[in-house]
Amino acid sequence: MASVDNTAENNKVRTLDELDIIVDTDAHIRETVGDLLPYVDDRYGGAKWIIERTEHPERDIYSLTHSLPPSLHAERGGWSADTNTVDKKLNELDEFNIDYGIVDPGLNLVLPSVNNERIAVALTNAYNSWLLDNFLDEGNHRLKANLLVSHHKPEMSAEEIDRMADEKDIVGVAFPSTGVIPPVGHERYDPIYQAAEDNDLPVFFHGASTNTSHVFPLQRMYNQTYTEDHVIVHPFSQMWNLSSLIFQGVPERFPDLDFVFQESGVGWIPYLMWRMDDHYLEMNYELPLLGKMPSEYIHDQVYFTTQPLGHTEDNPKHLAMAIEMAGPENIMYSSDLPHSDFDPPSELFNRIRSHFDGETVKDIMGETANGLLNL
Amino acid sequence: MPSKHKVATKDELPDGSRVIAEISGQEIAVFHVDGNYHAVSNYCIHQGGPLCEGKLTGETYIDDNGWDWNYDDDEKHITCPWHGWLFDVTNGENIHNSKYKLPTYPVEVNDDDIYVVR
Repeated sequence: MASVDNTAENNKVRTLDELDIIVDTDAHIRETVGDLLPYVDDRYGGAKWIIERTEHPERDIYSLTHSLPPSLHAERGGWSADTNTVDKKLNELDEFNIDYGIVDPGLNLVLPSVNNERIAVALTNAYNSWLLDNFLDEGNHRLKANLLVSHHKPEMSAEEIDRMADEKDIVGVAFPSTGVIPPVGHERYDPIYQAAEDNDLPVFFHGASTNTSHVFPLQRMYNQTYTEDHVIVHPFSQMWNLSSLIFQGVPERFPDLDFVFQESGVGWIPYLMWRMDDHYLEMNYELPLLGKMPSEYIHDQVYFTTQPLGHTEDNPKHLAMAIEMAGPENIMYSSDLPHSDFDPPSELFNRIRSHFDGETVKDIMGETANGLLNL
Repeated sequence: MPSKHKVATKDELPDGSRVIAEISGQEIAVFHVDGNYHAVSNYCIHQGGPLCEGKLTGETYIDDNGWDWNYDDDEKHITCPWHGWLFDVTNGENIHNSKYKLPTYPVEVNDDDIYVVR
């Protein structure tokens, strides 16, 4: 009589209830310029004078524009101010039974689109001070946050990291990463990486589908719809940034620093790893900055958040296969709430729970983030 | 054996309106569209959102002349408030891919009362 091996079956998780912890590694809030103005430091009084009198600061301080409106289809909306208090954000977590949210900015995802450097630095600092006052000092430790840095003045960003790093619920550095010229691997950003490494904070890179009409990855003019922008801007931004990071030797020079790439999904990861490894083996003569395979740096120091998972029309199992190819130990669940293309926990869970063993599923849904960020 | 569940009176459900009822533990919405009543499950088959709480909309389309961008204002499509998936309430089908279809239920009207048969 054939025996039935139940080992594999017994090692699965079947329901979300079996998870000890669910962490949303890309939980947005929606700060407005009005929220930040009271927190602009006195040394930037001149900048504040201008911003106060600007009727549409999203357009005339930042460059927040789209080819067509971002979210007519969904009722959570794209960029309207709503989730800008602790209570509202906790309600979102509760709605989906999420234990911890790693708070990332909303409007300030497009910080790279601010052309005036003093204002960029002023708004960055104001965001962090506002975060401290309204989210962190509220004392609810289910909300953790990334402190914001801008690419404009890396030394000042390093100071900002030193200022904020000791706050209990700061777990990382948010580095908005679309429209960053030169891309994030350039040595001009070393002060940011040094400060992050010194303070034991991972650096989170997050794209945005707006501040790209003048630089790669989008010259928007011929993208006639929001879709044409949005489909490519996230993965293209992150591909360029990850490639730049690896091949300019950033993880090599900062071996204790971890990096998290957010909001570009998982399908592109294996493709880029294969491609980078291929080049490393073929063109090693021009890559002396690297000491090991690009994929090794990725496995050792780089993490990816899962949203948006996309729609696997042909076979839902493909999603789990993509995660397997990318490396499940480096994948962390994210929702992107309140943005309209969010993924509830069940969306990821249902597509991985039969493919991976229970421990791997638990890791992806929250344990890996817990270990990385010491929640 | 299916039975009839009253969800509203005719007066309570004028044209263009809807009611969401719980029937045998399941949420079912009844829409009054174009003079007819249509019952569909209030559960978006995409990611489980509260489908029937969304807006009823028409549909945009490109005219046969290849250029005009029209709007068909027959508002019979329910838009999921989560991610905007559109379903025709008259047949439960996602208007872009009929493979994605909501459960639908027969509706009966007796005198002034509207019933879902389930």
